[in-house]
Amino acid sequence: MSQDFDAIVIGGGHNSLTAVAYLAKAGMKVAVFEQRGLLGGAASTEELFPGFRFNTGLSDAGLLLPDVIDDLGLTAHGLDWLEAPALAFAPLGAEKSLTLWQDLGRTTEELGQHSKSDAQVFARYTQQNAAFGALLQEMAKLAPPSLQYKPLPLLLAWAKVAIRARRLGGRRMMEFMRVLPMGAARYLDEWFESVALKGLLGAVSVSGLLQGPRAAGTAFMLLYQQMGSTGGYMAMKTAQGGVGAVSAALASAAGSYGAEIHTGVRVAHILSENGKALGVELVDGSQVLAKVVLSGAEVRHTLVDLVGASKLAPSVMRRLRALKLRGSTASVHLALSGLPKFSTSDNDNERLTGDIVICPSLDYAEQAYDDAKYGRFSARPILIARIPSLLDSTLAPDGEHTLSITLRYAPYHLRGSDWGNEKERLGDLAVKVLSEHAPGLKKLIKQRKVITPLDYERDYGLTEGSMMHGQMSLDQLVMMRPVPGFVGYRTPIEGLYINGAGAHPGGGVTGAPGRNAARQVLKEI
Amino acid sequence: MARAGKKVLVLEKRPVLGGATVSEEVYPGFRYSVFSYVVSLLRPEIIRDLQLPKHGLTILPLESTLTPLPDGDYLYRDSDKWATYRNIQRFSARDADAYGEYGRDMYFMAKAVKYILGIRPPDPTSLHPGELLRLAKLGKHFLGLGADKLHMLVKLMTMSSAEFLEEWFESDPLIATLSSSGIIGTFLGPRSPGSAYVLLHHYMGEIDGVFRAWGFAKGGTGGISEAIASSARAFGAEMRTDSGVAEVAIRNGQVKGVVLENGAEIDADIVVSSLDPKLTFLTLLNPEELPNELVDSVRGFDTYGSSGKVNLALDAAPDLACLPGLGPHLRGAISISPNVDYLERAYDQAKYGQFSEKPYIDVVLPSMIDPHMAPPGKHVMSCFVQYAPYQLNEGTWPEQREAFGDAVVNTLSEYIPNLKKIILHRQVLSPWDIEQTIGLSGGNIFQGELSLSQLFFLRPAPGYADYRTPIRGYYQCGSATHPGGGITGAPGRLAALEILKDGKL
Repeated sequence: MSQDFDAIVIGGGHNSLTAVAYLAKAGMKVAVFEQRGLLGGAASTEELFPGFRFNTGLSDAGLLLPDVIDDLGLTAHGLDWLEAPALAFAPLGAEKSLTLWQDLGRTTEELGQHSKSDAQVFARYTQQNAAFGALLQEMAKLAPPSLQYKPLPLLLAWAKVAIRARRLGGRRMMEFMRVLPMGAARYLDEWFESVALKGLLGAVSVSGLLQGPRAAGTAFMLLYQQMGSTGGYMAMKTAQGGVGAVSAALASAAGSYGAEIHTGVRVAHILSENGKALGVELVDGSQVLAKVVLSGAEVRHTLVDLVGASKLAPSVMRRLRALKLRGSTASVHLALSGLPKFSTSDNDNERLTGDIVICPSLDYAEQAYDDAKYGRFSARPILIARIPSLLDSTLAPDGEHTLSITLRYAPYHLRGSDWGNEKERLGDLAVKVLSEHAPGLKKLIKQRKVITPLDYERDYGLTEGSMMHGQMSLDQLVMMRPVPGFVGYRTPIEGLYINGAGAHPGGGVTGAPGRNAARQVLKEI
Repeated sequence: MARAGKKVLVLEKRPVLGGATVSEEVYPGFRYSVFSYVVSLLRPEIIRDLQLPKHGLTILPLESTLTPLPDGDYLYRDSDKWATYRNIQRFSARDADAYGEYGRDMYFMAKAVKYILGIRPPDPTSLHPGELLRLAKLGKHFLGLGADKLHMLVKLMTMSSAEFLEEWFESDPLIATLSSSGIIGTFLGPRSPGSAYVLLHHYMGEIDGVFRAWGFAKGGTGGISEAIASSARAFGAEMRTDSGVAEVAIRNGQVKGVVLENGAEIDADIVVSSLDPKLTFLTLLNPEELPNELVDSVRGFDTYGSSGKVNLALDAAPDLACLPGLGPHLRGAISISPNVDYLERAYDQAKYGQFSEKPYIDVVLPSMIDPHMAPPGKHVMSCFVQYAPYQLNEGTWPEQREAFGDAVVNTLSEYIPNLKKIILHRQVLSPWDIEQTIGLSGGNIFQGELSLSQLFFLRPAPGYADYRTPIRGYYQCGSATHPGGGITGAPGRLAALEILKDGKL
């Protein structure tokens, strides 16, 4: 395998595959190496138990940039969306529940039962968020500007965003700047009075963060999750075959452009000399050389472990060490012999087609965070569950179902214990809390798999279990991403680029870092 | 304004001038700096322009900080660089080395940011050439700092104080005590993003050109107000106390004067309110006279108070368990901030509407430096306390006030064993009391949280950060305007400059 490539991409996550496809489409000779047996990274669908297929990392592809779908012709490569009528369902106990629907009218009607005033303003809330989300999506497509005094070209690109922002109107533009650094709790308090609605909407504002919904900047995360959506909850898109189908379509597109895709091949080192990347060395000792190397792996791992600390300046090491990864999400995957009945869903399975959210109030979420702050997983965690098999019969045997629970907060660093001890306790807790609303759940469970932040690190290569390759707090966004001073997807090693979620704009199945990094490489070669 | 030749009248509701910057003899013979208690942020150009030293302003240095620890140990830092180095070294050699560099970097950052304390915020949404020019100047100033310093600035604007400090230090008492500057006056914990900015805000101090020095005003903080008032009088301004303003009179969108609480009417072409925006816009005016968007912004303006104050009159000097007897440490600040978790737990309780049973307390003894504050041999002790949330989950502040005072005294007694025996008088001020006494809505000592969404061109409301209001001739000049709270004088100065500029047109 030691022939030369134009570009080598490390890791086969969806952002790497996006980069590979863009590079190959532009005529470059590209190879990608994924250490696991399957592609997708945190955007994978895996058969954990015979006949049962689960989204083991991220559970939704709603943030995928429309540009990526169009540029790479993903629809022709098998990407197909399923219609889910519900966005999110919150069982509230005592026969009560709250559902947000794709159909705004239906949501408003349902909200009316909880609060007249909330029902009235909800449409305005969704409009504002959609406008802000659209602006964030524009920003997601650009390389962040350098803070050096000179590079005008990048600043000019961002002028496009400024013009777009101005189109919001002066008042809304000001509002955009006011809202981004707010806490989600405060933002939601300004709009709504229903405790249940605020809990439901706020549950996603702490995605990938070791922070509570009161923390400044969680309003940004709330809006980031709504890029390209209009429903007021989260951008949601269900791919036929699971999230892994997005990765599969990307791989298929990349393959069609001539890229070489290797799975089960681990990169041991990035070869570099005099501060310039030459290629990679695989675990079997073979060396593969290329003009440029792109890494979809997390940036600290890429530089410290793969390039080697001895090749980095102390100032770079300091910045890498200061990077806050903060993995704090675990997941629990259940193979079920039947569909669970939620005591509050009037046996209406339509409600269960979106997220099932256990986060009855913002204080509940904040208290869940309080535990994590002191190094424990939440005694009363935020749960976001999905039953993908309800819409997609290919994921489970006939009449049986898959249920995946995302649990917050499960901090990577535990005090006074370790994940070896806590793993199954966490699984029990997730099932117990969900069972409070779906009493028959336990009896339906055939198999269970718990994935802790430590498992995400060991098995998925996510440092500290951070699916976003670094917490997306205000201090780690845009030009502060992946670490301050790394501009244009470059690293201090010439010819080595970062194309993963650690780079701007960040995490989620967006394809944006992969696309942006590839475009940067194409511009520079 | 008086210095520029305007005929100016000040109307104060209380019998004393100063607002939150007052000294009062609440207990015979003992003078408390009742609310704000230390000074550092007062702008040097104001001291100079108004010749405050001539009018009696004397700032006495506060040069040390002592952090007593529960195990009887302590961390002591003072102006002796090497003594401080050795003290920190007992906890961590690495921290002792980093301390100097940290101080220099913060000094640089504070100086860089100080630039914005002296300018009126531009309107970033305006296409007016003047505003674009202001924006360009601002951009030039900050880009001129260079990438590294800009990154640090972004971190300071967005991070939590504890996490920011953890990039420099490892020893808990040091991180906790430094990070406490990031929570003062805000409803944030040391791990809440945004508190690093408040930390920086407290580094912007400058007294007589000496940077980052905290001090007492002679005679208490009221001494500052008295000096400013005396200077204003010398320029011809008139001051009336016991003269509460009931409403601002307007005609055809133009201000025409004020109506006092006693019904008297006073005419003026210009009225300036230093009250918080809720009072400035919603109480003194009929909100119907204002655009809806402004009324909404003002209603949503976060003025949630989180701090309390306990003032004690003492029969003798306090005796610390960690450093018994008299000593230079009593002339500085004593900070009850043993570790970050301690502060964070104090915040956790407050988040859900309870005062902290084990609060963060910043103690100073003004009488140790200025003997006129108390009778010979006796002392006044000022305790600034967090957290005391304005809105209690159970009960009201009048019911909870003394329990809160007890929590403070009990906590302090763990470090100062003789404290309970020497207390002659105790004054407890909750955010509710602060609101009742000096009118700060919500009892917020900064007239509104210093959060990113309430700073600079967003302070106090988007589109109204230029000290003007929709009513011609009506202006705002309080801490709720840029650059915010603390004894800075800056909002007042910037507002006066804008008013004088309008007068020229």
